[in-house]
Amino acid sequence: MNPSNPTNPNIESLAFNDFPLWKNNGSRPLFAIDLEITARCNNNCRHCYINLPQNDQDALNAELSLEQIEKIAADALSLGTLWILITGGEPLIRKDFEDIYLFLKKKGFLVSVFTNATRISERHIRLFRDYPPRDLEVTVYGITEDVYENVTQVKGSFRQFQRGLNLLLDNKIKTNLKTTATQANKHQLIDITKFCREKGSAAFRFDPHLHLRFDGNEKRNTDIIAQRLTPEDIVELERKDPARMAALEKECTCHDSDSMEKNSHSIDRLFYCGVGFNDCSISHNGLFRLCPSLWHPDFLYDLKAGTLKDAWEAFTPRVLSNHAHRGLTNRRCMACPLKDVCMWCPAHAFLETGDLNGEVAYFCEVAHKRSEKKVEMKT
Amino acid sequence: MNSKINSGSVYVPSDEVVAREIEGELIIVPLTSGVGNMEDELYTLNETGKDIWSRLDGKRNLRSILDQLKTEYDMDSQTIEEDAKGLLEELLIRKMIVEKRSK
Repeated sequence: MNPSNPTNPNIESLAFNDFPLWKNNGSRPLFAIDLEITARCNNNCRHCYINLPQNDQDALNAELSLEQIEKIAADALSLGTLWILITGGEPLIRKDFEDIYLFLKKKGFLVSVFTNATRISERHIRLFRDYPPRDLEVTVYGITEDVYENVTQVKGSFRQFQRGLNLLLDNKIKTNLKTTATQANKHQLIDITKFCREKGSAAFRFDPHLHLRFDGNEKRNTDIIAQRLTPEDIVELERKDPARMAALEKECTCHDSDSMEKNSHSIDRLFYCGVGFNDCSISHNGLFRLCPSLWHPDFLYDLKAGTLKDAWEAFTPRVLSNHAHRGLTNRRCMACPLKDVCMWCPAHAFLETGDLNGEVAYFCEVAHKRSEKKVEMKT
Repeated sequence: MNSKINSGSVYVPSDEVVAREIEGELIIVPLTSGVGNMEDELYTLNETGKDIWSRLDGKRNLRSILDQLKTEYDMDSQTIEEDAKGLLEELLIRKMIVEKRSK
């Protein structure tokens, strides 16, 4: 059934993104939540920041129970949450995934799921057909066994991925495809992009930004850094993607006096990016954060000990009022005219250097390379 | 108007949607496939629509709801009846309400 838009003036259909929750009435609804239901994964991707082994007993024991998720969801309902993204780790490795998904759906949340698709079964297909997700997002690490498994480091994962993805697509489950650009698959990125677009993923996107580990694992962080593309590689990839270039052009308001002026005014706030306005992240073990990358201990709230309502209504404003935290030594990055095309922010700085103010040479190089490319293309 | 809506019937929200009030807006979220138009994902009702929705409590038939609306709204009876029936028809087509069967 695909009825046309409503004709009665008393009812209006609207896409999720058009929902006017941001009307300026002074309220601050918690519009969307990223819910990491596990930190474990059945893949072992070289570049991943959250993929503890599937059999990691500590990680398993720390996971929020269904009951704890239900309690969080009850608060989310009262706070105006409409959209919950179930992510991980690989969410489908949880035995109670179906219970969590259905519970959230039946409460009236729009639910998205990030998955590697290797665990998709006929049972999941029935679930998603009967109770459609807002969308599923599947990462395509490679389109041949050698490349895919060079990334995932799990023998047989490509075959499982193919099977799962075909099940989703054959059954017309709304699925968006994406990829992560790494050293292990960069030579295949053009073909991966083509594959994703041919499979009908209009919303295809790629991500060249590899974040460091949530758990600070040094060995794995070394692997992640080794998988990062060079600034030249990133800019070259972006240059081949007109939509991305246009977005960067828009962001890169650099070098003009107005933006310099604006930046100099915004540096009195530690978080200038809009975190805490209408979304949040919750880790597998119940830690509330203002964004997925913000792991500084001063900015974590334990939902196992408190409530989402308290985290959003009391804790978040306290975090946001953190003016010029610890003297804000990094005035250079905060006032940099390239900051809108740079990955630098206090959260990433902390992950990279252990200091909210730390400078990250790699980010700086990427931002400058982007800026150079923009100037080059204009002349 | 060839309406499927019957004034003697009792209409109730379908089990296949969840209605939520967020920021003063009544939002209808389809739960299952085939409800609404999944491309659109959400539906909102304006103040009048919200008022009519709130009266679909399973206790009153449409005639009784229309009688109440006619006493409460400063609008001619025919317009009220047409608007309300039009809304319910739209909701019925989209499976957001169902006719309550008597036991």
